[in-house]
Amino acid sequence: MAEFSWIARSPLEHALVVGAHGARGTEAGVWLTEIRNFDLIQVMARRGKTAELAKAAQARFGVAAPETPKAVRVPDATLIWSGPDQFLVLSNAGKHAIEPLSQAFSQSASLSDQSHARVLISVSGEKARSMLAKLSSLDLHPAAFPVGTAAATSVDHTSINLWRGNDWPDGQAVFNLLVFATFAGSLWHTMLDAAAEYGVDIRHSEELA
Amino acid sequence: MRIVCPFCGERELGEFTYLGDARPVRPAAGSSEDEVFDYVYLRDNVAGPMSEYWYHGGGCRAWLKVARNTLTHEISSVEPAAGVGAAKVGA
Repeated sequence: MAEFSWIARSPLEHALVVGAHGARGTEAGVWLTEIRNFDLIQVMARRGKTAELAKAAQARFGVAAPETPKAVRVPDATLIWSGPDQFLVLSNAGKHAIEPLSQAFSQSASLSDQSHARVLISVSGEKARSMLAKLSSLDLHPAAFPVGTAAATSVDHTSINLWRGNDWPDGQAVFNLLVFATFAGSLWHTMLDAAAEYGVDIRHSEELA
Repeated sequence: MRIVCPFCGERELGEFTYLGDARPVRPAAGSSEDEVFDYVYLRDNVAGPMSEYWYHGGGCRAWLKVARNTLTHEISSVEPAAGVGAAKVGA
């Protein structure tokens, strides 16, 4: 049998061009950062095992898994609500990759490794909300969408998981979104178009915000 | 039209897909051909309050049972359809 050497590549490898995009002359209004090399595990309670899953999640992470559209931060992971009796575990460096989590949830949940199936994009900047308002029907005002709020929703006819991370030290809101890998290029270009008038600062990073 | 998903909150219509009448119940095994034909093919064309299945495919991917007035689009209740979420199976 042939030996394969798999190289993990970002689905945005070609679409993402680091640097400035759109309006120039002033400070960029929107910061688009693709976060690469993360572990993302979908955890779904098995039939009638919701209580067991809650216990196992508490034991593993020291906090209750979100039962409403919230994203819960623990020191080395983020638990993101993705629907009734299910959530996503976002981490890096293998701390909560599929193997350790399979052990932790072997009695209560079915797991699916989504690490290479999704693209994680972090949107911030003074005009982040104005840009997202062109694409999303959700109210992302701080009063309606405070830090830690999550949503499973659609933008540009594409399903995404959206949540508000901790603000930057300067108070800027941070919106994180997970999109299916094969839709990422399309959504990326849509966001670039929506953000162009504000000026965009494009980067990629391996640091989970 | 907006639907208040019991899991996600109020969302626009574009996130949902319509399945149809939520009333027909699968006939028991051994039912007559007429009963099965009725269940599979025959639907009422309701003008007024109707119980419907909707799928929140653009959001939490839950199936919902929506009570909607087909004349006014007024929605009087939205609840998870049977089997939504592991906790609700059989409930």
